[in-house]
Amino acid sequence: MIDDAFVFDGVAHPFNFDPKNAYGKPGEMFSNHLYAFHATLTPDNATTLPPEDFLRDWTPTDIRQMVYEESDTDMLVAMPLPLTDLYRDGLSPWEECAELASRDPERTVFWGSVNPLEGRRALDLMERQVKEFGAKAFKFYNVRYDYGTPYPWRMDDPQIAFPVFEKAQELGVNLIGVHKGVPLGPQPVEATQTWDMDGAAAAFPDINFVIFHVGLPFIDETCWQLIRFPNLYASIAATVNFSVRAPRMFAEIIGKLLFWCGEDKIIWGSEAPLFHPQWALRAFMDFQIPQDLCDGYGYPQLTDQAKKKILGENLLRLHGMDVEQTKSKLARPPSGR
Amino acid sequence: MEEIRRALAQVYDPCCAEKGISVVDMGLLRSIAVTDGRARIEILLTSGWCPFAARVLDEMKLAAETVAGVDTAEVEIVWDEAWTTDRLSADATKKLRFLPDPVAVTDRDAYLRQHARTEEAS
Repeated sequence: MIDDAFVFDGVAHPFNFDPKNAYGKPGEMFSNHLYAFHATLTPDNATTLPPEDFLRDWTPTDIRQMVYEESDTDMLVAMPLPLTDLYRDGLSPWEECAELASRDPERTVFWGSVNPLEGRRALDLMERQVKEFGAKAFKFYNVRYDYGTPYPWRMDDPQIAFPVFEKAQELGVNLIGVHKGVPLGPQPVEATQTWDMDGAAAAFPDINFVIFHVGLPFIDETCWQLIRFPNLYASIAATVNFSVRAPRMFAEIIGKLLFWCGEDKIIWGSEAPLFHPQWALRAFMDFQIPQDLCDGYGYPQLTDQAKKKILGENLLRLHGMDVEQTKSKLARPPSGR
Repeated sequence: MEEIRRALAQVYDPCCAEKGISVVDMGLLRSIAVTDGRARIEILLTSGWCPFAARVLDEMKLAAETVAGVDTAEVEIVWDEAWTTDRLSADATKKLRFLPDPVAVTDRDAYLRQHARTEEAS
């Protein structure tokens, strides 16, 4: 726990930045891009890794140590990345995430990931990820790179998306995350926008969808969708990392989300090891929306109650877990860092 | 200078091309200077980790070099000033920040009911 808040981190990726894993120049450039993200946003009071320490193969053991031994995190989602046109193994293969989750079966939750464009093969893999590896949710990426070409698909596509949503439900899974905004390389940006979430949310009211990165930079679109559909949520993963270097920008994002969508619909995520979880946790716990923004724009303040919900309670609820029971079972004493 | 600005207004911000928002509308442009046929253009990025930065620089350079009297153009990202939403043009603000500031909304739920109906009707 950080102070008195239970922390359920909604995303960590065991990245494989080994140069041999990257496909040529584009893969190398994407690795360097993520390193720049790390180096640019890590604050002065935290450790910015030199490139040789960052651009390596991060193992489940490394991620475990960073998240549980070096931060106040109580639970974690191990999440795959399928960038299969940039990296031989997609950068964070699902098998590695399942392995990470198996190290702490009570604390670490595995989310599966498949390529819906693969049809039957994707459905079979979903079944395997749930039945053999205990996947509790799925994460999708709307722009697939395959065979050297980006293939965008939409979350409201009855032929591509709906079969995987139906399969998830058949497997007892009602939680689906989707990467939105924040292009992963030179992708067709329009496919990373959030307009397709209306159709997905309306057609599958019993599935809760989490829009990762709050769809940045399309924050107004994301808010407009979250307020109209009770089953849409927003993850501030990667967004919260602006809280130190660009605090007014983060204040505006969190202020808009709090006003339009409410504190029950915002989810925490560290993106470890891209960013060390602890500095962002501390910064978020200490964060206040500057008073002139509250007065001038009408944003509500980020209260202690809202912080607790965002840091863990909302994601516990989405996993169908009892907040108080889980806290009493899994909460670790705060380190005071 | 105005000709260069007009040429740059034809370069779309990569995240907003389909909304028809140019780099000028986005407020990326800080300064333009021309000396002996060499144009120097200073820009701010909306975000330091924009994955399209290289493309924006190339497209702005090419656009500036189409202007009569400009032999070469160099586009430089400046870091001593942060881009803020105040730099958006009125048109870009309308397209990107279509939700009103909360202070202008007396009742969020009433706003939602009214505008969700309008959207359905359209």
